[in-house]
Amino acid sequence: MILYDYILSASCYQVRLMAALLGQPLTTRAVNFHPAKEHKSPEMLKLNPKGTLPVLQDGDLVLTESAEILRYLTRDTPDWRGQDEVWLSFAAALNGSIGTARLHDILSYDADIDAVRRAGVQHLRQLEAHLVEQRFDGMIFLTGHTPTIADIACFPTTALAPDGGVSLDVYPSIRLWMRAIRSLPGFIEMPGIHRLHELEAAP
Amino acid sequence: MGRLDFARCALLECVLRERGAVDWIAVGLSVDVPAGTVVPRRVNDTDMAIWCSAAGKLHAWGDRCPHRGMRLSHGFVRGETLSCIYHGWQYGMDGTCSYIPAHPQLEPPKTICARSYACNEQDQMIWVALAPTQAKTPDAEGRRPVRSLEITLPVAKVAEGLGHPMSSLMVLGGVYDLAVALQPSTQHSCVLHAFAGADQERKQVSRHLEKMRAELESADA
Repeated sequence: MILYDYILSASCYQVRLMAALLGQPLTTRAVNFHPAKEHKSPEMLKLNPKGTLPVLQDGDLVLTESAEILRYLTRDTPDWRGQDEVWLSFAAALNGSIGTARLHDILSYDADIDAVRRAGVQHLRQLEAHLVEQRFDGMIFLTGHTPTIADIACFPTTALAPDGGVSLDVYPSIRLWMRAIRSLPGFIEMPGIHRLHELEAAP
Repeated sequence: MGRLDFARCALLECVLRERGAVDWIAVGLSVDVPAGTVVPRRVNDTDMAIWCSAAGKLHAWGDRCPHRGMRLSHGFVRGETLSCIYHGWQYGMDGTCSYIPAHPQLEPPKTICARSYACNEQDQMIWVALAPTQAKTPDAEGRRPVRSLEITLPVAKVAEGLGHPMSSLMVLGGVYDLAVALQPSTQHSCVLHAFAGADQERKQVSRHLEKMRAELESADA
């Protein structure tokens, strides 16, 4: 399985994280997304005419949608599937708001920065309100007691919100939810999302 | 905020301070800072790291490592110590540095010390005081905490919108028997920490609070 990957992409990290949590081996091919725009190169456009990342290739199969990739990786692990559909669309909405704010701030993308940040805050308030209710029922993940692809879809963009100038300090339930994900066995980091040092023995 | 409004706020704050009304400021529910975690909180434009040791002891420190100024709230809790994420300097219960990983043989001088603030837990809520105080932490009279919500309005506007004089804990009553504590964070925003009657259904209360916030924010828009 090959992932055409960009280290700073939240969507590519989502695929790397999912594979790591499942213990599935993944070969990554680094694509120079910025500044070289290699994802728009003739070779990449042949693989994915949309010219986007991530691209997952498994034999003859080529997948280019994040949600589709998460479903594909978990096709044999029903534990990782729940009432995920609404959260997969919510993840796309998060990408449009705080994800866009981040691309504006770190890669100089065009955006109405105030508008996307405002929309991002509304999304985070929705996420917080849902997680507050989950915690009242003794659950820390989006759809239950255990994580599913819903959590993995929403986690990266949310955790990277500060890169786009949107603070996470005022969302206690989102913080504890992120902590629960970062505590999962097999969790991997990306720039901007570090592991929990306290889970390891003091060096 | 206009200059006059700002002056009025500052004046109000002085008056309140003299009356001792805002000695204790709620900064979050105990359940939101479980043992072994650290969180950032902004209290009246002061950045704090609130952390809970493995044994469950709560601390409110200035959110700044004395070494390089990194935010301690980015750090991590091991046992009864808080470590800075940057170079791993480790601080003990009294705020003094107890270990510097790059100099394992060195006993750090006692002058390397995080700034600490008074911090109390009452009614499963965490309270801090920016200045030393003799006042008691507010009593929620049997209510239980529900949740915290950020409101993008200055604290005085929220108190005004709630139609209640500002105090550490404002009893609003009503169907859910609400009591709220306002944490001034910046000059433009605050955090509302809510208690409700012990037998109230918390999901209903949480949804009610969401509505309350929407009304407060839209009334000011």
